[in-house]
Amino acid sequence: MTKSLFLDPNELRKPDKVKFTDIPVNQYKKTIEEEKKNFSKADFMRIYRDMRIIREFETMLYLIKTTGAYNTVEYNNPGPAHLSMGQEASAVGQAYLLTTDDNIFGSHRSHGEILAKGLSAIEKLSEKELTETMESFLGGKTLRAIEGKQKDKGNVKELAMDFLLYGALAEVFARETGFNKGLGGSMHAFFTPFGIYPNNAIVGGSATIAMGAALYKKVNKKKGIVVSNVGDASLGCGPVWEALNMGAMEQFTTLWEEGFNKGLPIIFNFFDNLYGMGGQTMGETMAYHILARVGAGVSPTQLHAERVDGYNPLAVIDAMRRKIDIIKKGDGPVLLDTLTYRMAGHSPSDSDSYRTKEEKDAWAEHDVLVNYKAKLIKARVAKEADFAKIDEDIIERMTKVCGLATNDEVSPRIDLSKQPDTIESIMFSNEKVEKFDDRKPDVLMPMEENPRVQQIAKRSRWGFDAKGKPVSKNKVYQLRDGLFEAIIDRFYKDPTLIAYGEDNRDWGGAFAVYRGMTEALPYHRFFNAPISEAAIVGSAVGYAMSGGRALAEIMYCDFIGRAGDEIFNQLAKWQSMSAGIIKMPVVIRVSVGSKYGAQHSQDWTSIVAHIPGLKVAFPATPYDAKGLMASALAGTDPVIFFESQRIYDVGEQFHEGGVPEGYYEIPFGEPDIKRAGSDITILSIGATLYRVLPAVDMLKEKYGISAEVIDARSIVPFNYEKVLESVKKTGRIVLVSDACERGSHLKDMAQTISELAFDYLDAPPVVVGARNWITPAHELENYFFPQPEWILDAINEKILPLPGHVSTANFTNVEQIRRNKLGV
Amino acid sequence: MATPIIMPKQGQSVESCIIAKWHKQKGDKVEVGDMLFTYETDKATFDEEAKEAGTLIDVFFEEGDDVPCLTNVCVIGAEGEDTSAFKPAGDDDDAPAEEAKEEVKEEEAEKPAVTVNTTGDVKASPRARALAEKNGIDVTMAAPTGPYGRIIERDVRAVIDSGLGAALSSGTAGIAGTGIGGKVRVEDLGKAPAAAAAEAAPVAEVTEVPLSNIRKVIAKSMHASLSEMAQLTLNTSFDATEIMAFRAKVKAGGEQLGLANITLNDIVLYVVSRALLNHKDMNAHFTGTSMKYFSNVNLGVAVDTPRGLMVPTIFAANTKSLNQIATESKELAAAAQSGTISPDLLSGGTFTVTNLGSLGIESFTPVINPPQTGILGVDTITTGVKEVNGELKAYKQMGLSLTFDHRAVDGAPAARLLKDIVFGLENFSLMLSK
Repeated sequence: MTKSLFLDPNELRKPDKVKFTDIPVNQYKKTIEEEKKNFSKADFMRIYRDMRIIREFETMLYLIKTTGAYNTVEYNNPGPAHLSMGQEASAVGQAYLLTTDDNIFGSHRSHGEILAKGLSAIEKLSEKELTETMESFLGGKTLRAIEGKQKDKGNVKELAMDFLLYGALAEVFARETGFNKGLGGSMHAFFTPFGIYPNNAIVGGSATIAMGAALYKKVNKKKGIVVSNVGDASLGCGPVWEALNMGAMEQFTTLWEEGFNKGLPIIFNFFDNLYGMGGQTMGETMAYHILARVGAGVSPTQLHAERVDGYNPLAVIDAMRRKIDIIKKGDGPVLLDTLTYRMAGHSPSDSDSYRTKEEKDAWAEHDVLVNYKAKLIKARVAKEADFAKIDEDIIERMTKVCGLATNDEVSPRIDLSKQPDTIESIMFSNEKVEKFDDRKPDVLMPMEENPRVQQIAKRSRWGFDAKGKPVSKNKVYQLRDGLFEAIIDRFYKDPTLIAYGEDNRDWGGAFAVYRGMTEALPYHRFFNAPISEAAIVGSAVGYAMSGGRALAEIMYCDFIGRAGDEIFNQLAKWQSMSAGIIKMPVVIRVSVGSKYGAQHSQDWTSIVAHIPGLKVAFPATPYDAKGLMASALAGTDPVIFFESQRIYDVGEQFHEGGVPEGYYEIPFGEPDIKRAGSDITILSIGATLYRVLPAVDMLKEKYGISAEVIDARSIVPFNYEKVLESVKKTGRIVLVSDACERGSHLKDMAQTISELAFDYLDAPPVVVGARNWITPAHELENYFFPQPEWILDAINEKILPLPGHVSTANFTNVEQIRRNKLGV
Repeated sequence: MATPIIMPKQGQSVESCIIAKWHKQKGDKVEVGDMLFTYETDKATFDEEAKEAGTLIDVFFEEGDDVPCLTNVCVIGAEGEDTSAFKPAGDDDDAPAEEAKEEVKEEEAEKPAVTVNTTGDVKASPRARALAEKNGIDVTMAAPTGPYGRIIERDVRAVIDSGLGAALSSGTAGIAGTGIGGKVRVEDLGKAPAAAAAEAAPVAEVTEVPLSNIRKVIAKSMHASLSEMAQLTLNTSFDATEIMAFRAKVKAGGEQLGLANITLNDIVLYVVSRALLNHKDMNAHFTGTSMKYFSNVNLGVAVDTPRGLMVPTIFAANTKSLNQIATESKELAAAAQSGTISPDLLSGGTFTVTNLGSLGIESFTPVINPPQTGILGVDTITTGVKEVNGELKAYKQMGLSLTFDHRAVDGAPAARLLKDIVFGLENFSLMLSK
């Protein structure tokens, strides 16, 4: 949506055709002789060495898994091992030219990429840089495990190789000295100082994240490129397509400002080993036949797609050289189809029931280690004995490293008996960071000149006038104004903050929270995303992982399903899976609808609250919205920030003096007493607050019952002390929210309260939630969402009979049993 | 065909009855009119007769069980018939398993000298239990007003506020708890009585009989009455010459007119029923926040019964003739004494008359039946002396003791009621002609 691009019917209706150019397949034809001008003998031999190290590493794991021993080391490894024998040339060829400024993201089968990229980094970094990196990592813990065990003492590169192999293997074996303290494991190990970013056990999971990392490089003008390494079968996953599209969206060049109007610096690389577990992608499960074809469907550049022979390291290096050039020219992104073959099974339990021995034997004939060596010998680069010496050295090194990584003294696991809080302490980083870069934030005008800021200045920051009457909607400072103030404040403080989502720019957000933001911010900080919730959230994860702060929006809560993996498995988990190395300053604004039926009106707070690693907020007042958003945007943790479309326009009715003009934060986890009372406690999450208040009035007027109203404000974390104090006083509690009653987070709260205040309870805590139905049409919503009368009904039926009360909703035990029996 | 026998509902307010005695055992032959079992409410005792002949083929409750009204109690039918369809459903509030367990526990405690009120079969909120425990009150004392018959905090608080708690508590006070923070656990309940029994061993033989339900009720309401109200008693006497003469007349010729045996007490009832109409504060209920006035006089008549004091009510006594009052008071007293009175007749009074005169009491302090505001005690007849025309003259003097609730009524209005009653009794013929 932009007025600057004219959609001209006279042009668009003209007959024309879409033209494609040929997509190269295995076009590399150079001989070793020809390559001698690009590679020294040492280079040729190092390529062999690196491939050989990967082969040995994977073979070692295979032997440990299948025979319980490797050379002199005996060990039982119960964890996963997705091995990559056969794919060594692809990994080493890709890493050869990459520097530590270039970041790779991988898959469950990424041991080879970790080692290749690490060996490449060791080759390129100075001894001083290497020493500093090793000394500072985990306070030197990993280094201490291998230090002094080298043949060539004082050789930092030798030491660094041991460090790399050991750090990766110790991680595979879940040791505290591993790259992620053993909390990532085989499928997730990574080491950011060498530009190795998280590998992902969800197929295709890295595509959106890597795209976000590339966005970080582009927006913040960081050096280097990003490589997304996923498998050929991941093109069956929607988020991968979303990443391709969003990574190549035209606005980068058509709309973004000078200096930012280049393509995204990313290579979408597919390690195309022709199988997704056992499903054969070429000919069976996929349609593309040759994966590189896909690039042609994504953008006019065809993503410069190409299939390269991943069984030849020199072909891969050649392709990488050309692709990096394209990106440096600003013409990214690039799609690379790196053809390879997995000699090992999907995992050691794979019986190869889906492929023939003939096929495996045929590929074994092409084994890169054998063929590359033969070619080098033939081209007189080296002799057989040179290779034998490399092999011998590698086996010796691997045996040593394996011995150390399996030694419980040298490589202990996290001791959760002695330090039970080790994992809980990394679930959240709980830091406050004003800005992630010191440069001046890019903005288009001084904040005070912003039309929205000027408009808000005229509004009444307190919801009532001098006579106590509510200020009209047009004149009152609304909840959406509170959100806006907190957000624009952070935009003017943190230059790395970006915000995007569907219809954010120009439109101002579907619910006008972002009105005025278009005027204030350039495209590269505030833009419209495609209708791609997975890519929206996944890219925010990658952006934050790389060092920036992201504010992404899901227009309707109901669309969370579209970003399920990105929210539940990526956003929530990387801080702790990285053992606290990664920070995740991402706020996902989620708008909870109403009036729009079954797929646009659901409150899914309970679903996200269930997933460990996410903070969850749901403010109901302008004061709380501003303060909680300020907290969320100053923090370093992922926050799912719920907003309700019912109450974007409410004025402040509780915070005496109205919403402060200046900056302030409301800490997460602290519920707030909105009305004091003595006879019953009502705990509300989100917009139901405004249906609780009439119930409170009815209780008071009709029955002389004084209710205390507590607004949860945030759900995770949550400090129960204030609620317990209230319940100890009143002995009774009703919990209310718009979430469907079954499995509602309120049930969790009710249970916790029952446990913690049992002796003080005069009745069981009672939950009043929405019915376990589809949300019906707006005209029928009063039968679905909690109403003020329902609260009285519940109290009358379950807590305290109200003399003469006539119920509108059925809260009887019999009805509860009946509904549960029917699952409704 | 098998026929279930239900626990009858005796009056609106009765929710359950206790089976006092089984007259037939399972397997006995039963004829129509045979007594099956005796059951009691907290106020009265009833017999259930067989309305079918056959064999008592199943019995669902034992003596002492508290059975919800309208629940099947037993089944009469032909031998060998299946009765499972009649077996009362295991209501959640019955918790029979739990009950049984507690019975065993009491036996294990070797017939404790102190009855421990376990509360497993009573529904009470944790908060209500905690409050009761803290105040040393048996939570079962409280009348449940919560959902599904649950005793909630306010119910226990009502007991505390009535001052009854301490007096009637036989709960966990004095028992050393072994739970966290000294909390008394179920296990602790069994131990304490044993310890108490050991201590009590050298003391002279004592027979301890658990209180009957009716005694508990009397204890509760009397104590509540005294502790909650501001009661004081006014004493006076009157010349009983005229009413004694009237009584003598009735005795002599009443039968001819078909009159009942009108006693002096009936005469007092009659006068009171009329006098009260002019003293609405004394024919009222005091709720603490309001006064409830009644257009009719529902006269409670205290009756001494083998079970204890009962107060049946003569409804709308002010509309009834002396003869009607006399007849009804006799019937009510007989029903109360035999224990077959309907519970509905044992409540609803607006003022009470009690008589200890027949036992020679000259003056006493009657205790008000809350929430009534007054009670008149009728004393014995003595010989009084008064000065008539300068001469001392003996006459039959009868005493009256009026207790009133000073919260509801002040001294002078109460005294005025008493004065009107005295006038009515001394000028009974005038009263009758009104």
